[in-house]
Amino acid sequence: MPAAPPTTEECAKGQDLVRTPLRRLTKSEYANTVKDLLDVDVSAAAVLPADEVTNGFDNNAAVLTVSSLHAEKYVLVSEALAKLAVQNLSNLTGGCDTAVKGEDACAAAFANRFGRRAFRRPTTAEDERQLMAAYGAGRTGGSYAEGIELMIRAALQSSNFLYRLELTPGPDSAAKRIALSPFELASRLSYLVWASGPDDALLDAAASGGLSSKAQVAAKARELLAGTKARAAVNSFFEQWTGTRRLAITTKNDTLFPAFSTELRDAMAKELPAFVNDVLWSGDHKLSTLLTAPVAFVSGPLAQLYGVNAPPAASGAGPVKVTLPAHQGRAGILTQAGFLSVQGHPDQTSPVLRGKFVRAMLLCQPPPPPPADVDISVPSVEEGATARIRFAAHESAGASCAGCHKLMDPIGLAFEHFDAVGQYREQENGQTLDVTGEILGANDAQLTGRFNGTAELAAKLANSEQVRSCVATQFFRFASGRSEAAADACSLSTMNQAFEGANGDVIELIVAATQTDAFWFRPQVAP
Amino acid sequence: MNPLRFSRRNLLRGTLAATAAIPLLNAQRAAGDNASPTRFVVFTTPNGTRNSLFWPTGSEKSFTLNQITAPLEPYKNKLTFLKGIRLNDSLQNGALGGTLGSEHARGTGGMLTARPLNAGKEFISFGNTTSGWGSGQSLDQYLATRLAPPTKFKNLQLGVHVRDTEVRARISYTASNQPVPPREDPKDVFSVLFGAGMSNPDGTTDPALARLWAQRKSVFDLSNGETQRLMRLVGAEDRLKLDAHLTAMRDVEQRLVGAPSMGSGSGTGSMCTPPTLANVDLGVDEQYLQAGKAQMDLAAAALACDQTRILTLQWSYSESEHLFRYLNVSGKAISGNHHAISHDFASSGTNFLAYNAIQTWYAEQLGYFLGKLDSYKEGDRTLLDNTVVLWATEIGESTQHDLTLMPYVLAGSAGGAISAGRYLDFSNARKDNNQLLVSLAHAMGAKDLTSFGDPSGATGPLSVLT
Repeated sequence: MPAAPPTTEECAKGQDLVRTPLRRLTKSEYANTVKDLLDVDVSAAAVLPADEVTNGFDNNAAVLTVSSLHAEKYVLVSEALAKLAVQNLSNLTGGCDTAVKGEDACAAAFANRFGRRAFRRPTTAEDERQLMAAYGAGRTGGSYAEGIELMIRAALQSSNFLYRLELTPGPDSAAKRIALSPFELASRLSYLVWASGPDDALLDAAASGGLSSKAQVAAKARELLAGTKARAAVNSFFEQWTGTRRLAITTKNDTLFPAFSTELRDAMAKELPAFVNDVLWSGDHKLSTLLTAPVAFVSGPLAQLYGVNAPPAASGAGPVKVTLPAHQGRAGILTQAGFLSVQGHPDQTSPVLRGKFVRAMLLCQPPPPPPADVDISVPSVEEGATARIRFAAHESAGASCAGCHKLMDPIGLAFEHFDAVGQYREQENGQTLDVTGEILGANDAQLTGRFNGTAELAAKLANSEQVRSCVATQFFRFASGRSEAAADACSLSTMNQAFEGANGDVIELIVAATQTDAFWFRPQVAP
Repeated sequence: MNPLRFSRRNLLRGTLAATAAIPLLNAQRAAGDNASPTRFVVFTTPNGTRNSLFWPTGSEKSFTLNQITAPLEPYKNKLTFLKGIRLNDSLQNGALGGTLGSEHARGTGGMLTARPLNAGKEFISFGNTTSGWGSGQSLDQYLATRLAPPTKFKNLQLGVHVRDTEVRARISYTASNQPVPPREDPKDVFSVLFGAGMSNPDGTTDPALARLWAQRKSVFDLSNGETQRLMRLVGAEDRLKLDAHLTAMRDVEQRLVGAPSMGSGSGTGSMCTPPTLANVDLGVDEQYLQAGKAQMDLAAAALACDQTRILTLQWSYSESEHLFRYLNVSGKAISGNHHAISHDFASSGTNFLAYNAIQTWYAEQLGYFLGKLDSYKEGDRTLLDNTVVLWATEIGESTQHDLTLMPYVLAGSAGGAISAGRYLDFSNARKDNNQLLVSLAHAMGAKDLTSFGDPSGATGPLSVLT
């Protein structure tokens, strides 16, 4: 059984804090930040190396380091993007008229304004000296535009840009914890909801005391989350959490699944964000809706896979929402074609992967991988008429297999009406499908009892406190850039209570992430 | 030698075929010195091997290649089979108080570091123990720092369909928790090796390029200074990170500002030809072969042109689930993925044959690479002779996830440091992988290295090799 959550009194005393390692911008954060800074096409940033993935997320701070390959690309990419940016010099420099003010004055003004945005805090005299030195290297023997270009390159290669620095000193060297400065909070908030740097409005709010209290930050978080700019970051969480980011490299046996084309795969990839956007920006925000709604968002050949007629979409419009036939037992994210395709094999379904997902990512009880010396080759499709029969060996082989597999298989086998590309089937190989199952070993009474099929399974999961707590933990990892530690109990408790209190409102969960000790403080570490 | 002027457009069109040679190095570094530099290459393929079809039969100097390694026949007298290397105790099951990470993960993180993975919750393994990333510097990075070769790239990491970004996909580490990602795009590799941005063959530099270099130097000085200032303000662990950042920036600075020291090593590799690259779609699984060939051609050229002397070439990731639909077994395309197939215990049947076909296919790719290396003449030797290639995989017998008998083969003789053409069987008295790494360091000229990796591993070189 998991440990009891800490009491309010314990949390009021202030637990020791956990250090988050220095957070280098991820590849997507870099691209988003530069796009907001320079308003240019940032496709040149695609050559940055992919970030290492830890615990399913690509923003784990511990391994966000700068290798020689990163260094090389930071130089080359900043050069390419700076060059694009100065093609629209007037836009970039706020229309500073060099004929009136003089080039140096315009450059200095740009250093001050651009520096604040790039470094996500007011510039110091030293920052401006360095930026003007870069300007000089471009202006001398060159031009004003080249000077500005060099300044941008220098800013984008600076550690003040590449890392989300939190260096505001504490009140005294003995204090165990340090409160983040308003600018540091602004950065945390903008990267949480936008995966990008704070804009001028947010920096102004930080400067004028508008991010000083938890209530202010919560209000600001809600305001930012209401806008469309928040969709990319929030969807990034869902794509990584569900594993659907791997759709791009998912392949299927083309004899068995000839319809699994690039076009179909792209349509699948578009469905999850369309669904998330619908629930979180046009719907009731609820996790339960995300887990149970029998709807799909179709484009291209996806409608055909779901067996529905899609109303014709206006050209250029996104995926179209359709209700799926009740008999299919579709239920939100867990039965989306993209999710089911990723959690499967090229030639058949994987009840193990599907059950493992529920176990690890919805119940936070990850089962370990199989023992080293067993045959884990997947039985070929011919070997048993249905998956339930093919995988029966997990139970009959005895405790060494059944011990873990009973935690996964009885869940995953409930999905068998959906084949390896997520299409509904009444039978497999002419056999009737038994999609009853059970969740064993959970810590929530809500999850006990047998169920028949995915709709019933999803209903149990949607009402479960353990599931909500697990999702909160997953989001904590994503938001914090690290795994949770024992000392995060109070912060997790803050998030769990808010999530529960709001009946599983995901927007409130995200807001709650800005209300924790882990968000507001950092431990004092001696330099 | 007659330096030829060339345009970048010509290069990319590939009109300069095998007959044209481009001196891509500093003109001062001309002929006269016949001693070519020694090179170190790590060539990794995933998922272990099947011992019964891998190891040769016969005696030390008179042996016959087995089924899986048959494609290496043309280079047999340049191969050294090492049967008897185990991963050290810190990487074995149940040893030293626990197990950190799955066998695949341990075999990956420990391959070139000879160290266990870090404790941590990041990656799950059987038995409910978890692990983090690799815990120390890998040999390729050690040699790059220790030997500081005067080449444009101190070291180069290339990958073929690696794609994965977890612990099972990283063999190179600059330090604990500092994995080095491989370059996967042949077009990108081509552009940094052979693209624009170099002095002209006659030693002059276009003014625009000279200005770019000078400006880059200014920016490097500013950003490095700032990083150093920040290092004084952060905690000890973050300081390690910023220090690694600084090292990385200094590493790339040399070749991005046209520093004259780059590429001035001695040797006959002063003439080389950039390879012609076919168009490869990295997203198409079936183009594994083409992607691999492009990277292998680039790797060989990079070594021949002395752009680097330390190189890793990684196929897929450990526990690879790559498909091989273009390989046929009993008249049908292989339908399962490599990892799943590698766990079938049957000693006959479809999976048995499919596994052997895949392993042999990987050996063919190594054969192609060795052939490329062998095609570059360096004095009275070849580039292959002057290189030591370590063919490695993350586990031994696939079905067992074994780590006590690793299927390591060396190719080339490191300029004579290694006496090749031997099948060394010391499986009755096994040696730790630490010792192999020390031997490789010695072969590369770092002769003062006495131990490498976790202290639980034996010290000193592999005595059977010398």
